[in-house]
Amino acid sequence: MSAETDLAAQASTTSRSILRLLKDPLIWLIVMAFIVGIITSPYFLTPLNLANTIRNSAAIGLLSLGMTMVLLTGRIDLSVAATMVFSVIVGVAITTQIGAVLDERWIVRGNSFVGPPVLAIVITLLTGIGVGILNGIGVAYLKVASFIMTLVMLTALRGLSYIFTNGAPFYLKGATFDWIGDTVYLGMPTGFLIFLAALTVMLLLLKGTVAGSRFYAIGGNEIAAMYAGIKTARYVVAAFAISGGCAALAGIVLTARLKSVEAPLGGGYELTAIAIAVIGGVSLAGGIGSPWRTFLATVLFALGLNLFGLWGVSTSYQNLIIGLVLIVAVGISSIQQRMKQE
Amino acid sequence: MITFNKRNLLLGALAFAVTPFLSGTWALPAAADDSSVHTVLNGLIGKYSDAARTGMSNDDVSDLFGRDGFRDYLDAYPVGDLAGGFIWEPGMGATFTGPYSKLEIKAPFTDYLPMPEGPVLDPSKTYRIGFVFHGFNHPWLISLADTAAWEAARHPNIEFEVIDAEFDDNKMGQVIDTWIAQQYDGIVLWPAREAPMGPPVDRAIAAGIPVVSLDRRTSSEKISSEVLGNFYANGLQQGLFLKQISDGGKIILNRKDLGSTADSIRTGGFLEAIGNEGGYEVAGNYHTKSQRTLAFKATADALQGIDDVSVSFNTGGEEAIGALDAIREAGRLNSAPGGGKIVILANDDSKEVLKEIADGNIDMVAPYTPLIGDIGIRAVIQHIGAKEGLNEAPPKLIMTPNLPMITKEAMDIEGVKTVTPDQWLYAYGPKAE
Repeated sequence: MSAETDLAAQASTTSRSILRLLKDPLIWLIVMAFIVGIITSPYFLTPLNLANTIRNSAAIGLLSLGMTMVLLTGRIDLSVAATMVFSVIVGVAITTQIGAVLDERWIVRGNSFVGPPVLAIVITLLTGIGVGILNGIGVAYLKVASFIMTLVMLTALRGLSYIFTNGAPFYLKGATFDWIGDTVYLGMPTGFLIFLAALTVMLLLLKGTVAGSRFYAIGGNEIAAMYAGIKTARYVVAAFAISGGCAALAGIVLTARLKSVEAPLGGGYELTAIAIAVIGGVSLAGGIGSPWRTFLATVLFALGLNLFGLWGVSTSYQNLIIGLVLIVAVGISSIQQRMKQE
Repeated sequence: MITFNKRNLLLGALAFAVTPFLSGTWALPAAADDSSVHTVLNGLIGKYSDAARTGMSNDDVSDLFGRDGFRDYLDAYPVGDLAGGFIWEPGMGATFTGPYSKLEIKAPFTDYLPMPEGPVLDPSKTYRIGFVFHGFNHPWLISLADTAAWEAARHPNIEFEVIDAEFDDNKMGQVIDTWIAQQYDGIVLWPAREAPMGPPVDRAIAAGIPVVSLDRRTSSEKISSEVLGNFYANGLQQGLFLKQISDGGKIILNRKDLGSTADSIRTGGFLEAIGNEGGYEVAGNYHTKSQRTLAFKATADALQGIDDVSVSFNTGGEEAIGALDAIREAGRLNSAPGGGKIVILANDDSKEVLKEIADGNIDMVAPYTPLIGDIGIRAVIQHIGAKEGLNEAPPKLIMTPNLPMITKEAMDIEGVKTVTPDQWLYAYGPKAE
């Protein structure tokens, strides 16, 4: 094939992708939200407001990405928000213990963490992945329903978080946490860039590898996938591990912004993560969905909340509107599922 | 390097309280009338604190006091005069219908940092003030919002926005960030927890927006003002009352979250008051998180295991009602040794608690009024005025007046004249039938 033909094919693929993108109603909803924002509030387009909006989307977006992985396999993970907080608490607690062994005092003046942040972050990530693996083993090998397994995990992790902190916060000190929580590059907060990085990795995994397609296969028809030779249990464990890892990453982003972590943080965020994934078109029955659309739904959700905030809409009405949107999204998801089965 | 921890923050707040007086940036208040309840209670706090510092003869109380580190919290908790030499007397304050609860409210402190009705500061300008709190589902917090909204509505050039962050600290931070982006003129908040609210408050202050916290504190050292309650007087009065009516007995404690200001100062003040009385024994110690159901369960369990409970100490009104329900359900109201009544001690002067006092079921309550939102609004307006060079800034620390305990019959306990439920005009929440 000649170079010209290659180029032509590539251009055709790109234009097809752009056309497909423009057909996505989420894109149009985001554009509409922007237009409405610009018309209704003089503050909407300010760099500070835009940075706030996308920064606020990072932690919940990461939770939603993890949730997307689990939902694709036809399972659910109710423990994501508890994992998010628990992982950071364990990260700080274990790093502090390591410090004690090394004769270093990394918790000062009661509850300020001044230890090496990179070590704490690594332990946080490992803890999140570990929690995910436990969930996955319970679901895939012990055959516990994912709803039950992760609900029990949620309760246990919330309790453990209180025990490890004795109900008090850890203050997170140091330049690394400031960098993650506060810095902005070309209008993009670091937390949001971390979210984009996780999205890229997940897109590469799901769309660019054979292993990725197997997650869809398991969610679409698990028995058929098994007969096709896919070791489904391993993939289910992997999906939960990715969800746990994303939750830990969300924990790092969230707590770096608040400069502290404590047990009650993020209560109920698991439901928001499910809502965003479903609004993004992920089927609750598994097999359908894309991290890209979850990303779009996250941005749309953050824009919506920002507009409500700028308009001064009370939280009760915000909840009502979110609930209505969710009902519509679940309805569409259910219709899609029925059409797929037919 | 500045470090944020509980002790530093509390000590920092104490420094905030003292610094303006030392630097002369705030007019020294006139000496308070020695007979005012605020001064009398501050004197008693000093007396019992000194005694407890010397030592506690009751080993059981002393052990708990030491184990939970009450000394650190109590030492750092500010006790002092009221701003501008204000003297509060029972009967003061305005009466109005709460904009949110639709209930009739008599707010005790509307004459504190007074501000006449009408336009404020520059009448040609409109000032936008945001009020963020948690809990449109909680009577105490609705009353807090009621008083804030009432004060804002008295000034036609104030544009007032109220947001309920629904106990989500991250959301409260996001609300504050949105108001920063919108260049609000002032922010008043009720933070549920200290730690996560420091960074957003610091960002607002850095953006030149004055911020005032109500009741609870944030981890910000830069906050414009803190309107603080009278936790110390609450716990102390519970102890004084108990000492007055009994010689000892087994106590069940229903406490708030470990480490919360309400728990550490109220319970600490209570333990200081009884720490040198030999007859008391802490038989049960529970953290029931301000929840009636948890207090019910903890008390019911304690009653199962302990035959001779004499006292139920509760750090809040919800806990006290939960404890009372458990005691009544177990048929144990009059099961204290010698056939006496179990003494129930409460905080928070809801109408429901007051009714139980009038009925003789709860024995005393130390009022902790939510009707302080108006002080926060006036303080933030004064801060905005100070920024514009129109007036002096209010003090960093604005103590609310100590309030006398409420008992079924009027009593005089170490100089504190208690009031009866029918004399107490400031109870909040829905009427109890």
